[in-house]
Amino acid sequence: MKTIFTFLFLAFSIAAFAQQTISGKVTDEKGHPIAGANIFIEGTYDGDSSDEQGNFSFQTTAAGKQNLVITFLTYETLNQEIAVEDFKGRTVKLKESVNTLDAVVITAGTFESGDKARVSVLKPMDIVTTAGASGDIIGALLTLPGTQTVGEDGRLFVRGGEADEAQTYVDGLRVSQPYGATTNNLPTRGRFSPFLFSGIAFSTGGYSAEYGEALSSVLLLNTIDEPDNEKTDISLMSVGLGIGNTQKWEKSSLSVNTSYVNLAPYQVAIPQAVDWNRAYQSISGEMVYRYQFNSGLLKTYIAFDAADFDLNQENINQPEKIRVDVRNNNLYLNSSYKGYFGSNYQLTTGISYGYSHNKIGIGLDDVKNAEHATHMKIKIGKNLSERIRVTAGADYFTTKFDEDFKENAGNAFSSGYDNNIAAAYAETDIFFSKNFAAKAGFRFSHSDLLQESNLSPRLSLAYKVSKNGQFSLAYGDFVQSPRQEYLKYSSQFESEKTAHYILNFQYNKTGKTFRAEAYFKQYRDLVKYDTEISQFDSQFNNNGKGFAKGIDLFWRDNNSFKNLEYWISYSYIDTERDYKNYPKQVTPSFVADHSLSIVTKYWISDLRSQVGFTNSFNTGRPYNNPNESAFMNGKTKAYNNLSFSWAYLVSQQKILYFSVSNVLGTDNVFGYQYADNPNMNGEFQRQAIRQPADRFFFVGFFWTISENKKENQLKNL
Amino acid sequence: MTKFILTIAFFITTLAGAQTQYEQGMQKAFALWGEGKTTEASALFERIASAEKNNWLPNYYVALVNTTTAFQTKDKNQIAALLGKAQEALNTELDKNPENPELLVMQAMINTAWIVADPMTNGMKLSAKTIEIYDKALKIAPENPRALFSKAEFEIGGARYFGNDTKPMCAQIDKAIELFAKFKPETPFHPNWGLDRALEAQKECNKK
Repeated sequence: MKTIFTFLFLAFSIAAFAQQTISGKVTDEKGHPIAGANIFIEGTYDGDSSDEQGNFSFQTTAAGKQNLVITFLTYETLNQEIAVEDFKGRTVKLKESVNTLDAVVITAGTFESGDKARVSVLKPMDIVTTAGASGDIIGALLTLPGTQTVGEDGRLFVRGGEADEAQTYVDGLRVSQPYGATTNNLPTRGRFSPFLFSGIAFSTGGYSAEYGEALSSVLLLNTIDEPDNEKTDISLMSVGLGIGNTQKWEKSSLSVNTSYVNLAPYQVAIPQAVDWNRAYQSISGEMVYRYQFNSGLLKTYIAFDAADFDLNQENINQPEKIRVDVRNNNLYLNSSYKGYFGSNYQLTTGISYGYSHNKIGIGLDDVKNAEHATHMKIKIGKNLSERIRVTAGADYFTTKFDEDFKENAGNAFSSGYDNNIAAAYAETDIFFSKNFAAKAGFRFSHSDLLQESNLSPRLSLAYKVSKNGQFSLAYGDFVQSPRQEYLKYSSQFESEKTAHYILNFQYNKTGKTFRAEAYFKQYRDLVKYDTEISQFDSQFNNNGKGFAKGIDLFWRDNNSFKNLEYWISYSYIDTERDYKNYPKQVTPSFVADHSLSIVTKYWISDLRSQVGFTNSFNTGRPYNNPNESAFMNGKTKAYNNLSFSWAYLVSQQKILYFSVSNVLGTDNVFGYQYADNPNMNGEFQRQAIRQPADRFFFVGFFWTISENKKENQLKNL
Repeated sequence: MTKFILTIAFFITTLAGAQTQYEQGMQKAFALWGEGKTTEASALFERIASAEKNNWLPNYYVALVNTTTAFQTKDKNQIAALLGKAQEALNTELDKNPENPELLVMQAMINTAWIVADPMTNGMKLSAKTIEIYDKALKIAPENPRALFSKAEFEIGGARYFGNDTKPMCAQIDKAIELFAKFKPETPFHPNWGLDRALEAQKECNKK
C-alpha cells in the first residue's frame, strides 16, 4: 500500500513539475575554475559538486524562484535567488573568504598574543616562562622591539616616549595606575598577574581610534572569558606565597587570587645596594566573576593591593641618607559587558574605577595623595558584510587628584585637579580582497580642564604581497593630557600631541615570524617649565617638541630546531626632544640607541624541563654632566643582562621554577645623579644610579589541584 | 584513521534495500567517503542537511568527515578551513540540541584535532575544556561507548608522557569495549564507530 502511494505521489510530482536542469560553472574572482564546490538548491536533495573545469549540472524538481547555495572551503558561501527554469550555463564567481588564516591582517604597530590573534607573536605562557621577566607582563614585553629597558624604572618606554605615554586597558577599560608602588630609581612591576589574562595586544604605535589618552603605546589585556575547569592554585615562592581558586557554575564562574609578598628573606640572603629599613611587602588580591547570558558575557574584575616599604636613599646633595617610607593602597574595579543585540549588532560597554592612595614620608616631610579615576565606555559594532565592519563608540574619563604636602617646618601645600575628558570615535574595517585591507577612523575628544577639543584621524592599510609576506602602513594623530606632576600645579595647558607614521613588513611561515618596522614620530606641544623640577611656582608652557625615528626588527622561530624556541629583537632609535626644562632638543636620558634581546627556551624531554636564557643588551644612555658645557653630553657604558630560568614539571600539575637574573653580575649603570652645586674645586660631584642588587634569585613551587586530574594526582602521592 | 573510515563506510553501504531519498543520499555519501572522496562526501552530507532540517545526522557527518580529513592534513591553513567547516556544521546542531552526547563527542574530536595540529598553541587552551566536554557527555549518557573510550584515549597520551599509571584509562577502555557490544544505534545511520580503535588501544594496554 505504502509503495503504491509513494509511486503515485512520485508520478504526480513528476507530472506536475517537470524536471529542470541547472548547469553552470564555478570560478574564483579571477575566472579560474573551482573544482569540488558544492552547488545545491536549499531545502532539497538536488545538487552537484563541480568538476575539474568548475562545471556542474543537475536536475531538480523544484520550480520557480529558489535559493541556490554554493559552498567551498575557504570561500564565502554564496546564496543566490534564481529562477529554476532559467539557470543554464551560467558562470558563478565565488569570493575568497577573508576569515581564513592566510588572509591579510593589519599588523602595523601591534604585537598580539592569545586566542583571537591570528598572528601570535607572544603566547600567554611566554609571559611566565621568559627568563628575566619574573612573571611580570611588562618584563616579558621588554623583550620585544620598540621598547627600552630602563632598569631603574621598570615601566614600559616605547619608541622614544616617556613611560606615562603608554596606557593600559583591561577588557577595553583604562587602568590609570597599572604599576606597583615604588620610589626614585627602584624598578617597579606591573600589577596584574598574567594567569588571569587570555589575550594581550601590545601596540607600539598607530593604534585604533578606540584608544585615546596615549601618545606612544597601548597595552590591551583581556581577562579569560571562560576558565577551563575548577581548580586551586598554590604557589610557594622565595618572595612570598599565593593561593587561587576557580569555581564554575552552569552560567557563571569565579576566580580569586590572593598573594602575600615579602622581600625581607631575599634581602637577607642577597647583599643589597639599598639600605632597607623595612623590606617591600604587599598583600594583594584579584577576583574575576563572569556571567554568561544567552547573547552576552558580563565580566567583573576587582584587584586590590596594599604595599609598603621603608628605606634610606643616598642623595649626593645631602650628607645623610634620606629616609623614604611609602605606603600605597590601590583598588581597581572593572565591569564590562559584551554581547549581541538586534540584527547582529555587537555591544561592548563597561565602567572602570581606580583608586590609589599614597602616604609617603621623605625625610621629615610628609606627602599624601589620592587619585580617583573612572572610565565609562560604550562601543557598538556591526558587520555590514563579511568584508565591511563599522564600529562607533564613546568614552568618558574622569580623573581627580589631590595632594597634601606637609613640611616638617609646619608649612602645608595642597595641589590637585579634576580632569574630565569626553571622547567619541568611529572606525571602519574594509577588506577590498583577501590581500588588501584597510582600517580608517577618527577620534574626537574634549577636555573640560584644558578647555580644548581635538580631532585625531587614524588610518591603516595592509597588503599581502606573497603567500607569507605582507606590508602594512599606519598613520595616526594622538593626544594626551599633560601628566599628573604638571596638572597638579596648573591647568594652563594644551594636550601634548604626536603623529605616527609606520611602515611594516611581516613574514609568517609555520612557526616562523619575521617583522621589520620603520617609523617616524613627531611630537608637538610638549610641556616645558623653567625650574629644577616641576613645582608650584614653575612657569609652564607648551612650546616643547621632538621626534623619534627608527627601525625595529623581530625574528621568532619555533620550528627549525627540535624543542627549541627563540626570538631575537633589535631596535635602532634616533630621537630627540625639547621638553621639561631642557635648554635645547637632545636625546633624553631614558633612550639607548641600540637594543638587542635574545630569548631562548629549550625543552628537555627526558628531564621534563624547560630551560631558558634571555640576554638583553643596550648601548649606553645619555646623561647630563654639569661639568661640561654641552647639555646631556655624557653617555653611560653599555648595559647587559643575562638571565636564566629552569622550569621542572614534577608532574602534570606541579611545577618547580627557578630563575636568576643578571647571572654574570654585570654592574650596570643607568645614569648619574650630580650635585646641585659644585664643590670647593669647582666640580660637580656625582653618584651612579645602579641596580638594587647584582642578581635576583627566585625559587617557586606551583601546584594546581583540579578535579580532572585528581585521579592521577592521588596515585602519585 | 583511513581504516576507521572504511569500516564505517563499508558497514553502512552493505545495508540492504534502501528506500527513501534520505537513505539513498546517506548511502551514496558513505560510499563516496569510503572511496576517499571526502570533498564530495562532505558536499552530499551538506545537501542532505539542507533538506533534512530536523535530522542532526547529516551535519554530524559533515563535521566527522571534515575532522577526520583534518587529522590527515599537514597544511595548517587547510586544517583550519576543514575544522572551521566541521565546527560550523556542528554548531548548527548543538544549538538545537546541546545535550546530545554524540555531538559532544564530535566537539571533543574537533578540539583534539586543533591540539594535534598545534600542541604548543592549543594544548593548554583546549585540553581541560575537552575533558570537560567528555565529562558532560558521560553525565548525560554514561553508557555511551564512544564518549568513554575517546576520553580514555585522550587522557592516556598525557599519562604515558608523564610516566603516570595508565591502568585507570585501560580499565575504562575495557569497559568501553563491553559497552560497544551492547550498543544499538537507533538507525543504521546513527554513529556506531569506535570499536576497532578501542580494540587496538586495548592491545597497547596489554603490551606492558
